[in-house]
Amino acid sequence: MAEDKLLAEMQALRDRVTGVTGTAVASRDGLIIREDTGGTDPDNLAALAATALALSQRLATEAGHGVLREAAIRSSGGHVAVYAIGATAVLVLLGDEGLDIARLHRESRATVDSIEKLLL
Amino acid sequence: MNIVISEDDLVGPLREALLVAAVAGMSGALRVTGDPGGTIHLADGRVVGIDTPGAPGPEVLLLRSHRVSEPDWDTAFAAAAATGGPLGAELVKRGLIGSGELEVLLWTTVADAMFVLASGSVDEYRAEPGPVEFVLPLDPGAEADWLLAETARRLRVLESLPARPDRDRVVAVSGAERSGDRLAGGQSEILALADGRRTPRDLAFALGRGVYGTLLQLARMHEAGLLVTASYRAGFQFGARKTAHPAAGGKPVPADGLPRRSKDPAALARRVVPLGRTRDLPATLGLLRPRARRDADAGETP
Repeated sequence: MAEDKLLAEMQALRDRVTGVTGTAVASRDGLIIREDTGGTDPDNLAALAATALALSQRLATEAGHGVLREAAIRSSGGHVAVYAIGATAVLVLLGDEGLDIARLHRESRATVDSIEKLLL
Repeated sequence: MNIVISEDDLVGPLREALLVAAVAGMSGALRVTGDPGGTIHLADGRVVGIDTPGAPGPEVLLLRSHRVSEPDWDTAFAAAAATGGPLGAELVKRGLIGSGELEVLLWTTVADAMFVLASGSVDEYRAEPGPVEFVLPLDPGAEADWLLAETARRLRVLESLPARPDRDRVVAVSGAERSGDRLAGGQSEILALADGRRTPRDLAFALGRGVYGTLLQLARMHEAGLLVTASYRAGFQFGARKTAHPAAGGKPVPADGLPRRSKDPAALARRVVPLGRTRDLPATLGLLRPRARRDADAGETP
């Protein structure tokens, strides 16, 4: 089942990158597709992530910086990162203070590509 | 200093790196690539702080434990940034933490992070001499000898523990939280977080405690039948530490594999020191030596 493969991709990212506490995939209109958030409300997360992605893309375009690679939010207690999956979906990732950002940059691209293929 | 490289050294390649840096009195960063990897910050050959995704640093410990409130931290941080002064002194001046308490906390985090780096895998490391860039440096820093002895001691203890720092995802046994009086301090907190997703490292971050202390606590709880390992983190490299460290009696490294002196000291400092190629201490020492002395040795004094 595509959905189980989707969840496996999300869990694999959590396995590979130290400090990832959860992930979720949502549609661009903010509806949850699959979640592995470990407690964070997935519906709220999906809605906010879709909005954050849309805003970040507009911000990047306004600044003339080209294609958005990642929208990252760093707080005193952790990280949230949002990625575009094609034109239809969004990946949101939660991490703690120790999130291995260097490794996340290396690994996230492949995960986004794999998820995009699964959602086709 | 008398450098003895023991054959059965538990700490692995970082032992040599720290000893060489200590002898050279190096200041700057030692970048460690691996799982979890990180950056060891050095001042005059002593370890003043370690950044690693594998262990919570002083900021996490102070904030998560509510020892220092977030507004207080932010105010002190801004004040220190404005004056260019050290954050530690600012925290103490504002009465947010005692100077002795801060020192103990910083020692603890350095020892914990060093233990985590050494218990994981080390692919390579490289020295980057330069200014010290760490938010809360230990002053004076931890001596290499002490830190290595403490790390070796902890690694020996780790061998007898049921869980590895970032491998075992632990889960509370059903009904464990109802054990009531049998639960020691902090155990109910751990049970609430042990949902089968978190490794000891994840729990340490969530609790704002050291990884080593968390491992000891988890071992006691394992023994008491309160929790079990639910699964292993797939990304964890089993036995990586042992393979990363050249085996006893291993083949001698070809001499042409050693780092060579270069006319460009900056390029030299950036050079990666591959594992198993650091046995020739004088050559490595040259690599780690502060720039002025290295230039003088190379006859390139301006």
